[in-house]
Amino acid sequence: MTETLLPSSQHTIGPFFPRTFFNEGDNDLTRVNTEAPPSTRGETILLHGQVTREGGVPCLNAILEAWQADAGGRFNHPLDPERHLADPDFLGWGRTWTDEAGAFEFRTLMPGGYDDPAGHRAPHVNLTIMGAGLMRRVLATLFFPDFPAENAADPVLNLVPESRRAHIVAKLAGEEGGLRVFRFDIRLRGDPAEETPFFDD
Amino acid sequence: MDTNLPLDLPPNRFDPFPPGIEPEVPVPGYPNTWTHTPAQPLLRRPVTRTEVTGPMDLWRKLPCDESNLAVLAPGRIAMGQLTYMSGRILDEDGKPVRGAVVELWQANAAGRYFHPIDQRDAPLDPNFIGKGRVRTDEEGRYAFFTIKPGAYPVPVKDTWWRPPHVHFSVLGPSSLSRLVTQMYFPGDPMNEWDRILNSLPDPAARGRLIARQTHPAEVGDGWIAFTHDIVLRGRHATPEAP
Repeated sequence: MTETLLPSSQHTIGPFFPRTFFNEGDNDLTRVNTEAPPSTRGETILLHGQVTREGGVPCLNAILEAWQADAGGRFNHPLDPERHLADPDFLGWGRTWTDEAGAFEFRTLMPGGYDDPAGHRAPHVNLTIMGAGLMRRVLATLFFPDFPAENAADPVLNLVPESRRAHIVAKLAGEEGGLRVFRFDIRLRGDPAEETPFFDD
Repeated sequence: MDTNLPLDLPPNRFDPFPPGIEPEVPVPGYPNTWTHTPAQPLLRRPVTRTEVTGPMDLWRKLPCDESNLAVLAPGRIAMGQLTYMSGRILDEDGKPVRGAVVELWQANAAGRYFHPIDQRDAPLDPNFIGKGRVRTDEEGRYAFFTIKPGAYPVPVKDTWWRPPHVHFSVLGPSSLSRLVTQMYFPGDPMNEWDRILNSLPDPAARGRLIARQTHPAEVGDGWIAFTHDIVLRGRHATPEAP
């Protein structure tokens, strides 16, 4: 018999998640650890953004975690039937914190899409935002402007009212060191025209 | 070091939180909850592979070798009541979550965090950083040696106090089971006044965040001991045959 337990409640991460938890390269999804060489199976890209709250005020020390598929749309995880094909050098996870300007940066590979019972998923990155004043973690999904046809069919992007969809498609914002930079700003709270569409799952 | 734990197949069924368990916002007296919490309704997204998976080998990225917060270096012992804190990480089926990354951080005995943002006029302890990270073992167990944190006032108009508490961050094998929570100490009258703990509507849910004190003899001389289990979201759609 399995016993049934109730999940522990969430609480805010608060303002003091230690800086000392972070190591160089924690915001780099392309490497499984600091010493490991970055995966090169795909296009290396940079994600830049800013986290703001009501009124557009920057959030200091918001903690962001990113999770995504590899360039082939696979996950190194037992619930991916194609795990054996997943890129062993790609971690797909990263964490960072925002500075006084609310700014953050991730380095990753352009993810691949994949087929799912819910529909074909366009390439995307799931972001978790935590911070002072957020009693529960906030969930966002980042899409890319490179894939208009896949985005139009994505079952998650389609949940968003059409007028707000552009908020969660990152914008190409030039190059840095030969890498394409995508910009994805996160407005935690605002009117429907301002606030980033967030999810629950 | 490649002692890859044979991780079980992670849970693949994630029910919404039952009522009363999740915090209610905004929290009175906590202004940031009024200005940061999304105002628009959340969109319930289907659980596809990105949501149900998560990093399996995170311990390679995040070193999980820091279980003693109380002793910074030989001879450098933190001020405060030396405390041993242990427990298990379980899923909703009561199965141990093996290989989970468990992070703990807290204020020092004077109620101040070692963080540039905490500028409160309370002493820093040169022997206390206040953070640790371990990986759960075969039975889902974690353990930390630390000191009991102090209470501190929340710097807002009409100040209120946080009771002594410890922050936990748990990274299990699924994004859906990611949990950031706090743990409280039993018998502290301040628990009942805490606005953050009281944001949980269900008293039983509040009770589940309060640790249980165990007999110090269990950890030998020198430490008081608390035990605290944490339950992550998720169960198995197809339970194992008995």
